[in-house]
Amino acid sequence: MIKITNLEKFYRTEEVETIALNKLSMHVDTGEFVAIMGPSGCGKSTLLNILGMLDDPDEGSYVFNGIEVAHFNERKRADLRKHNIGFVFQSFNLIDELTVFENVELPLIYTGVSASERVKRVEEVLDKMQIMHRRNHYPQQLSGGQQQRVAIARAVVNKPKLILADEPTGNLDSSNGNDVMELLTDLNEQGTTIIMVTHSEHDARYSHRIIRLLDGQTVMENIMV
Amino acid sequence: MFKNYLKITWRNLVKNKSFTAINIAGLAIGMASAALILFWVQNEVSYDRFHEKNDRLYTMYNRSKFDGKLWCWNTTPKPMMKALKQDYPQVGEASRNTANSFLFSVGDKRLNLQGNFVDPDFLTMFSFPLLKGNRLKALNDMKSIVLTEKTAKALFGNEDAYGKTIKIDSVDYFTVTGIMKDLPNNTRFKFGYLMPWKYWEKINGGEEKNWGNNSVQTYITLKPGVTEAFFNARVKDITRSHSDIKDIDVFVHPASKWRLYSKFEEGKQVGGKIETVKLFSIIAGFILLIACINFMNLSTARSEKRAKEVGIRKVVGAGKSSLIAQFMGESLLIALFAGVIALVIIILSLPAFNNLTQKQLFVPYSSVSFWLIVLGFIVFTGLVAGSYPALYLSSFAPVKVLKGTFKAANAAISPRKVLVVTQFTFAIVLIICTIIVKEQLDYAQKRDTGYARNKLAYTFMSGDMSKNYRLIRNELLSSGAATAVTKTSAPITEGWSDTWGFSWDGKEETSKIDFNIFNTDGSFTKTMGLKIIDGRDIDITKYPSDSSAIMLNEAAVKVMGFKHPVGQVVRNGNSKYIVVGVVKDFILQSPYEPVKQMIIQGPSSWFNVIHFKLNDKLSTAQSLKLAESVFKKYNSEYPFEYHFVDEEYDLKFQDEQRMGTLASLFAGLTIFISCLGLFGLATYMAQNRIKEIGVRKVLGASVVGVASMLSKDFLKLVGVAFAISVPVAWYFMDQWLMKYSYHVDISVWVFIVAAIITTVISILTVSSQAVKAALTNPVKSLRSE
Repeated sequence: MIKITNLEKFYRTEEVETIALNKLSMHVDTGEFVAIMGPSGCGKSTLLNILGMLDDPDEGSYVFNGIEVAHFNERKRADLRKHNIGFVFQSFNLIDELTVFENVELPLIYTGVSASERVKRVEEVLDKMQIMHRRNHYPQQLSGGQQQRVAIARAVVNKPKLILADEPTGNLDSSNGNDVMELLTDLNEQGTTIIMVTHSEHDARYSHRIIRLLDGQTVMENIMV
Repeated sequence: MFKNYLKITWRNLVKNKSFTAINIAGLAIGMASAALILFWVQNEVSYDRFHEKNDRLYTMYNRSKFDGKLWCWNTTPKPMMKALKQDYPQVGEASRNTANSFLFSVGDKRLNLQGNFVDPDFLTMFSFPLLKGNRLKALNDMKSIVLTEKTAKALFGNEDAYGKTIKIDSVDYFTVTGIMKDLPNNTRFKFGYLMPWKYWEKINGGEEKNWGNNSVQTYITLKPGVTEAFFNARVKDITRSHSDIKDIDVFVHPASKWRLYSKFEEGKQVGGKIETVKLFSIIAGFILLIACINFMNLSTARSEKRAKEVGIRKVVGAGKSSLIAQFMGESLLIALFAGVIALVIIILSLPAFNNLTQKQLFVPYSSVSFWLIVLGFIVFTGLVAGSYPALYLSSFAPVKVLKGTFKAANAAISPRKVLVVTQFTFAIVLIICTIIVKEQLDYAQKRDTGYARNKLAYTFMSGDMSKNYRLIRNELLSSGAATAVTKTSAPITEGWSDTWGFSWDGKEETSKIDFNIFNTDGSFTKTMGLKIIDGRDIDITKYPSDSSAIMLNEAAVKVMGFKHPVGQVVRNGNSKYIVVGVVKDFILQSPYEPVKQMIIQGPSSWFNVIHFKLNDKLSTAQSLKLAESVFKKYNSEYPFEYHFVDEEYDLKFQDEQRMGTLASLFAGLTIFISCLGLFGLATYMAQNRIKEIGVRKVLGASVVGVASMLSKDFLKLVGVAFAISVPVAWYFMDQWLMKYSYHVDISVWVFIVAAIITTVISILTVSSQAVKAALTNPVKSLRSE
């Protein structure tokens, strides 16, 4: 599904140039659950952003589902993204002014799904995430675990082929964290490819494969059994 | 999708109540001000454009040289109308027009009313519809009269006035042959009734054939297809070919230009009121822009709060265009709220605005096009206000905002700073203009008029006043009501007559010098409190030969070149006059212009006005009561109506006063709207820098230090605005003052005062927020992560 070759990304300020990704190559197959680990500043998040087409690389190739996307413009990336990729963030990133239902509904609005279909699909996914009873609440009225479940519901409501999760349990206690990891595992078992950045060895164990980064390069790959 | 936008917009508005209020209030005030000005502009540009024959309607103008300068004026000889109709096949209809005033009596009711003498064509040339009567023949009979609805109501109440009889003065009975719809608020004409020209001829001794007396307006319509240029080429010589006056050219001025383009210089049309209309349109645009700038500033200042939402929306699939649409929708919604409030403001303030501008503007509730324009205005405002924030907010990169590394740009010249500078530049320019206009007004008001206005009153002569003048004068004096009385040709505050017919020894044959003419029967200097510089006042009782005596003012002595004016002989046609005295210059017309040369003629001339100086020893009310009983006794048919010279004199400053009030109003509004925005910006800045302030305080910064640090940034912007506005304001006011021969010079202190005002206001606006931020306990601000 994903194949990147010699990917490079620099961050420049007036005096310093920082290399975030240094000729990084990797691939992810459809249906895989991959964890990316590494110390702070190793380039995990940069990689995830490029994979999610939120950012573009300076050099190298990124082939998504057989299409070279490294130099797509913003509109093309946004189009590809909204149909194929769901995001889960450490800080949930729900819109405070929208209710649970409305937050989850948002991706469907942007992909042009009809109103009646939207209600059906949002209810379906809220039910699956067991937060149906909170549908009319605002994010601030929910616990962290509940918020992250809403975020996951939002990420999957469009039935994306790929879910990118950036430390999804980072702001949660262990029990809520485990629930979230179970949810992701379920999704993966139903066929969704998952790439997750994490600091937690415990969480990484849910994945099939761990890619370890250091200074923008792959230093090790562990295949889980 | 739309519903979703609406929802989030609404919730955002409710959540940030104070900013919503500032935003909507600023926008509403800006919209209301701009709309009021546009109302005024619309009224000005629509003046006399509603006549069906508007494109063929003209007024006649004269053009002639005086003292080497070409002048144009629109009072014409009375016989011109007939000559136009008889000798010029291009002319369709024609009518003279001149104002009059009569006492109207219906039963016991007596009213002094103002109206016009016109020829019968007037009713078919102009589109002033008759509700009753036939406009083709309503003014054909000498004693027919057309009343406006208002006049009809004033005279007859709710009764039908059509066909009824009215007594005019105490001599003639008129039949109401037409009821005219009240005049609209956008016509140059102001009359309560129309009387046929034939009646003018009856009371003035028949048809006037004199081409040298320019005293009426002449209006014509040209036949379809006749162009202005074609007709001008033919009508140019009309005065020459009908009289022995050889130095006057005649031309036509089209109806479409009457209101806005009627200033002539050196014989050419050089604009006119259009300049004010343009200036006010620009001001309206700027006030609206300033209100929009507020909206832009506040929206972008809040961007850090909105950034997360933008990021999330982008991540879940929003394209840039859908975000632009969302933010545009938000500003349109706010503009709609503001528009509704603005409409309320307009409705509430329209009476005061009308009073200020001397207009009768109204909100045309039933007009569909009005509401469409309102909607268009709201949409336009929403789009302008929303454009920059929409582009700015929708361009955020989600990676940055969602990772929390996002900080809104704080560049040296951020657009926000440019916007604040724009606002304040405009506000400061207006403040400077206000000060200078007021200064000029004050300067002219303090100018010595040359006569004593205090307790000086006058009344227009009517009915038997002329016949009984001697008795009236004597009794006014003997009763103690007045200490001096004089009969004059015009009120002392107005120049009614001028002529270039005088000659004297030493005058160059070819030169044409125009004199103001003023007539008095005697006691002129005593009544007016004028100073005699040389010779004496005209006094027929002491000097029987004074029927041919004249006085000159200083300016006249100067242009005539007399070393010893008293005893000089001055001629006008066959008449011979002797100069008996010279008076010190006094202001007859504009207090902004030099005093023009004037000849004051003696008792053998014509009179319209009685001036009387009220007795100092009595109260004004007592003197007036005495005076009233005298006038009632000798002129019992007419109500006693009087005017105070000081009040009339003050009217000369009306235009400038209005200009001053409008300038200060605009200045006040713009500075208010700008400060509203500044306040909002300061609040956000204080919130955004709360952590920085905390750290500074922990490190030992004082409250005053922090507050002044926060205020300084804004004051710098105000300083830049000031630097830009000084030359701009100086240029405009210099141009404006050039209009007046008698004017102030722009002094430095005007700018200093403006600087102080602006600085104080902006410090007050910003410092409250800065001090509040500086007083915050650092423990609080640093703890919140």
